[in-house]
Amino acid sequence: MEFKTVLSFCPYCGCGCGLLLEVLDGKIVGTLPSKTSPVNQGKLCVKGWTVHEFVTSPNRLIKPMVRQNDALQDSSWEEALHLAATRLKEIKEKYGPDSIGVLTSAKCTNEENYVLQKFTRAAIGTNNIDHCARL
Amino acid sequence: MTFLKKLLEFSGIHPERVRTRWVSSAEAVEFVHEVSEFVEDINKLGPNPLRAKAKEAA
Amino acid sequence: MSTKIKEAVRALLTEGKIKGFLGLREESGNVMPHLFCDPKELDSLSLGDWKKSGDTRYPLNQLMIQLAMAYPDETFAVLVRGCDERGVKELFKWKQLAEDRVILIGIGCPDELAKACECEKPFPDSLIDGPKGTKAENEKVASIDKLELDERFKFWEIEFNRCVKCLGCRNICPMCFCNECTLEEANLVDTGEVPPANPTFHLVRAIHMVGRCIDCGLCEEACPADIPLRTLYKKVGEIISKEFGYKTGFSIDEKSPFNIIEVK
Repeated sequence: MEFKTVLSFCPYCGCGCGLLLEVLDGKIVGTLPSKTSPVNQGKLCVKGWTVHEFVTSPNRLIKPMVRQNDALQDSSWEEALHLAATRLKEIKEKYGPDSIGVLTSAKCTNEENYVLQKFTRAAIGTNNIDHCARL
Repeated sequence: MTFLKKLLEFSGIHPERVRTRWVSSAEAVEFVHEVSEFVEDINKLGPNPLRAKAKEAA
Repeated sequence: MSTKIKEAVRALLTEGKIKGFLGLREESGNVMPHLFCDPKELDSLSLGDWKKSGDTRYPLNQLMIQLAMAYPDETFAVLVRGCDERGVKELFKWKQLAEDRVILIGIGCPDELAKACECEKPFPDSLIDGPKGTKAENEKVASIDKLELDERFKFWEIEFNRCVKCLGCRNICPMCFCNECTLEEANLVDTGEVPPANPTFHLVRAIHMVGRCIDCGLCEEACPADIPLRTLYKKVGEIISKEFGYKTGFSIDEKSPFNIIEVK
């Protein structure tokens, strides 16, 4: 039996509030603000307070899925990536690169966001990239 | 009620804006009297500050 | 102060009287709650005095409830200050904790902290170390009582307007354990509206604090908008004390006037 709190940082916005994840027997059961973090000084916004909820949410995608017949079906990485690449190519050829837009997120790492904008601008060839925080 | 009135007073809302009275369906006359009196007393207190806020917001 | 505490806990652990001690630990300059199951871990014990007295207090009672739910047959010890012990006494009455499964390790708060908290009783009955501080005067509540009715309204209107509905006050409260909270009820509180209904939202929470608020101050510390919540809830406690003669967390038997539901 083990209960501890683990210092981590909020994955949402760029503030980087320090929070403590309550871990009971290896499972995350709650969130507390870290009182020793200079950024947030023991306070959190509603997103920070609910970090533990999405980590263990049953709605999380845990494997690649492909939409067939209006429903999401289990798939494989190969099939899903192949489908995405093929369809994007087709759309780009038929309607032009500006018919594709990419939306990224503050929950992505800086590196992931860099790759996404490079992909959008260089691989797809469009400027249609935006970010949930309008980065 | 005692508690609620004191809490409202602390928050800046006049405690006399809230009133409770048990009324049975056989006490129609008393009910009318109670409500009319309450309306008079409330009017004397003037507009509720919360109403002014709501008007401002709208 | 921590030597006596360490020894007391070490004894309980080595004698097998407790499964673990819920306290605080300091690591790499950070203070965080921790369940100490091995006496060797006690070297990192912290009492919540990081840079100033009591500046890193956490709602240990709340974590205790989770532990008790997961391991109802185990006995634990928990670090308590004056306020925490008031909380534990109430939680026994609210049937959230079992009296025979919780051992209290009490520390007293220094006068400087007691004054800042305006604490009614800055030390627990189960005091193991620390001072038996003096009761402080309630100046924050008195300063609002002095204002006229419309000044009070303006004061609270401005304060509550900064609320972003983070629910930090409710989340960190060691006494809030309801599975369904009124503040998250879609029928009562509009989603996407910030600030929430001023002052209703906060008055509703204040009413729910009757017989629950132990005046620990964690709510005000957790509020990112610096709303003087503690002052509001202190007034709640004052009203209940004056009108009903009930002081939250002082009695082991007497139930709060709002605690009328019997759990069999």
